[in-house]
Amino acid sequence: MNNNKQIFKVNIQLWKGIAIVAAAFSFIICFLIIANYLQINRLDPVNTEIINTLVERLSQNPNDEALKEEIRELDLLARKAYFTNQWQIRTGGYLLLIGVIIFLIAIQLINSAKKISPEVGEKDDNNLFLQKTARKWVSFGGIGLIIIALFFAFLTHNRLGETFTEAAFAENALNKEATSDETGSIQTPVETSVNETGQTDIEESTEQTTKTIKSSIADYPTAEMKENFPSFRGPGGNGIAYQKNIPVNWDGATRENILWKATVPLHGYNSPVIWGNKLFLSGANGSQRQVYCYDRNTGKLLWTANADNITGSPANAPKVTNDTGHSAPTVTTDGKKVFAIFSTGDVIAFDMNGKRVWAKNLGVPQNHYGYSSSLYVFKDKLIIQYDHRTESKVMALSVESGDIVWSTNRNGKISWASPVIVKTFDRVEILLLTDPFLASYDANTGEELWKIDCLYGEIGPSVAYADGIVYVTNEYASLVAIKIGDNPEKLWETYDYLSDVPSPVATDKYLFLATSYGVVVCHDAKTGDVLWEKEFNNGFYSSPILVEGKIYLLDKQGIMHIFKADKEYISLGEPKLGEKAVSTPAFANGRVYIRADKNLYCIGK
Amino acid sequence: MKRKLAIVFLLIIISLQIYNAFAIQRFPKPEFESGHTQPPTITPDPRSNALAILDVFVLVAALSIVSWLVVKKRSRKGVFWMSIFAVLYFGFFREGCVCSVGSLQNITLALFNPEYSIPITVIAFFILPIIYTLFFGRTFCAGVCPLGTLQDIFALRPMPIKSWLEKVLGIIPFIYLGLAVLYAATSTDFVICRYDPFIGFFRLDASFMMFMIGGIFLLIGVFIARPYCRFLCPYGALLNLVSRFSKKHITITPAECIQCRLCEDSCPFGAIDKPVLLKEKEERPIAVRRFVMLSIIIPLLILVGGFTGAQFHENLASVNSKVRLANELLNNTNYGETEQEAFEITAFNAAGQSKEELYNEAASIIRQFYYGGWILGGFIGLVFGLTLVSLSVFKYREDYTPNKGTCLSCARCVDYCPVLPENKVIIQK
Repeated sequence: MNNNKQIFKVNIQLWKGIAIVAAAFSFIICFLIIANYLQINRLDPVNTEIINTLVERLSQNPNDEALKEEIRELDLLARKAYFTNQWQIRTGGYLLLIGVIIFLIAIQLINSAKKISPEVGEKDDNNLFLQKTARKWVSFGGIGLIIIALFFAFLTHNRLGETFTEAAFAENALNKEATSDETGSIQTPVETSVNETGQTDIEESTEQTTKTIKSSIADYPTAEMKENFPSFRGPGGNGIAYQKNIPVNWDGATRENILWKATVPLHGYNSPVIWGNKLFLSGANGSQRQVYCYDRNTGKLLWTANADNITGSPANAPKVTNDTGHSAPTVTTDGKKVFAIFSTGDVIAFDMNGKRVWAKNLGVPQNHYGYSSSLYVFKDKLIIQYDHRTESKVMALSVESGDIVWSTNRNGKISWASPVIVKTFDRVEILLLTDPFLASYDANTGEELWKIDCLYGEIGPSVAYADGIVYVTNEYASLVAIKIGDNPEKLWETYDYLSDVPSPVATDKYLFLATSYGVVVCHDAKTGDVLWEKEFNNGFYSSPILVEGKIYLLDKQGIMHIFKADKEYISLGEPKLGEKAVSTPAFANGRVYIRADKNLYCIGK
Repeated sequence: MKRKLAIVFLLIIISLQIYNAFAIQRFPKPEFESGHTQPPTITPDPRSNALAILDVFVLVAALSIVSWLVVKKRSRKGVFWMSIFAVLYFGFFREGCVCSVGSLQNITLALFNPEYSIPITVIAFFILPIIYTLFFGRTFCAGVCPLGTLQDIFALRPMPIKSWLEKVLGIIPFIYLGLAVLYAATSTDFVICRYDPFIGFFRLDASFMMFMIGGIFLLIGVFIARPYCRFLCPYGALLNLVSRFSKKHITITPAECIQCRLCEDSCPFGAIDKPVLLKEKEERPIAVRRFVMLSIIIPLLILVGGFTGAQFHENLASVNSKVRLANELLNNTNYGETEQEAFEITAFNAAGQSKEELYNEAASIIRQFYYGGWILGGFIGLVFGLTLVSLSVFKYREDYTPNKGTCLSCARCVDYCPVLPENKVIIQK
């Protein structure tokens, strides 16, 4: 062959030697890397037995400086060893790569220097056959490709283009509403300032405002609201019910005092609300969202209304966790309409007969567990706490049309708590809790009245209010009492028993707090001192309700713990429902309504 | 002499590295009042203009030397040493970027996106190998492309694969080329770079998955030579087309072929066309009928391919980061993260773009993919059609010749030929 024309001569012996050395080198490095890798995986530098033992010793003697120093040195040593191992693996990798490349070059050169054997193999199949076979497989390949592509195309078809266009349109509509609202609220003072050329106008305006405020104070919660149970945790959501003759004994197993029991079609963690003889609640899954109306005397399902075909509603419901679901927020009613909101951001209003009045989508709330803030009505406004990841705001929609009446941006994080609307000294305030602050808003205008940083974490419990003090809590944070006003101040703070789901309830003297791990605590409302604490077998997700001077607190197993709202724990009963329950009960005169896992119960005599 | 050359070469490399260290920082480093000193950065600075120009000169030089070695000197050894140089310089030293293979995406992006300003170096890396291929065949693949040469070093025991299979698999690079162009044209991604199996080796920072994929390619490459070049490389697909028109392509024999058949199995890439005799010609009526059928089928294939591509457009578009973000926001899925807000969403919020804008943009991208799907599908249909045509054509051939399209000009076959330029035959003892 023409090897004699080569411009590079190969010393085979030399390259054989290089190949052997490179192979041995690579093998050793490879072995060391594996050994090192196993060692590094076995060791956890911050969790060694010896350091753990020393740390344990230190916890018994926290002031032992020598021991502290010894732990620090050992810790440093362990970390150094860990990082050295990592460096060794990285460097070993480079060395292995170099070794392998040198080995390969050597082998290639040795191969190339070998004399080529002048052997001639059998002749292949003829050209026609090869072409025919190739044509066949090219055709099969093409058909296969088309089938696979079409299969996946139809399997995963999502109308993405149309969905995005619709979503953009919905966003645009929402932005316009918000903008027109902001423009409106900006324009009002301008118009007023034009009118303020005459003193009379100012006086009239002031007089009117005063009347409005007085009217607001007198109106909230209205007598009608107090007669009913129109929202989560009662009128205004403060955990107080105004009903009488509430039973303290029942038994789900024997049906003692169980007046009726009805199955709720779709699951939901929201609680029942009551107006007149009607009881409302909602249920949803990934594809359906419904509102139900029951006759609260007979348990008959009067109507079911679907929350569907809402402009801007996402084609697929957002992902939520099982313990939140798609209908965690409780519905609310003003006696003329019932309002519901779902994980999709769909808000919908029905009249009392289940006929849709209006519906809209607020944009899908960015909430990794699922949206859960309940709705409230203040006069002619539907109040919505919409604290989610991408934006955080509180807004009021017109109960008649769903149009935004006011919307106030908040710079908080996601909140799973619900608003609490209370009459304070001279105004009606919406109290909203999120990480990291508690803020108050004027219920008429949405104006932020005051704000105080007080908590952190993923806020679940709503606030409790009594006698000018707001109580806020969250698991892993603290329980704080805040004196409200334009300059709010912390009165006391404690860290012993904290809640992650149930909201507290307060009287002028006492604060009652239930926890998801089963402890119930009574604090002195003014000082924060623990007056009593009691541990129950089951934890609580349901919030306590104060009614007739008694606390009704439902545990996860469906046992209602009824005790006096007093400085001592005095149990008044522990009736069992016989079904798991996490919702908060609703009350009517002589009746308790409980939404359990699958059924709705009416309890009374 | 060799040792001196090696020392000079090493010195050049080291001096270039030192020069690189003085490259200007894009953003000045902050100064700390506490006296904290800045640790040296790990990520290399962008290449300075001087180095970029040097790269182009080295590319020209390498292409010229390899072409000379292949066409003029017919030296496999020379090509091999140039391969080592290419792996070291274009691979490890330049960290594989920008490479000619990936540069076709830059060119596409520049054509479709007027906001993208393409560096002259990138154009050079795209154009120069094509020009050399037009004259000398795929000498770039032979000894300049770091991806190809790395695989070549690993080709220790290459085995031939069936030529019909070679033809079928040879369509894949064209599909990959179409996809890469579509994704670059829609400013979605540079998929060739993202899924380059060897770049991680050159930068020594491959993710575990890419390291495994690269390792598997190299392992396969021990037995099936250059699997990436033959069955995936989209730039190779371009060069395959260009090389068919090459002026001075390598020949197996330097003079007249004596039909000794010694070179028959010498090509590890199955790129030697064997003689086709007249007796293997199909009967004329059958051939005519097939061509009539193909002339009907090809437009049909383009249509069916286009339709399929258009139907598949949502799947294609789901790779686009904006489409993905819009989808995640719309469905509130937070990229599957439950512990904290996904970085993409945090970045979107911080950027201040409205959701409405994002949704509109995503809808527009989906539309682009719909039309792109038609074009891509039509292109793939055309490739299948033309492949069928090429498999139906009778080409009379007397000698063993390299297939100008698929031959990588590695010059292995020349060592098998006993013919000398003077038309003498070497007799091996």
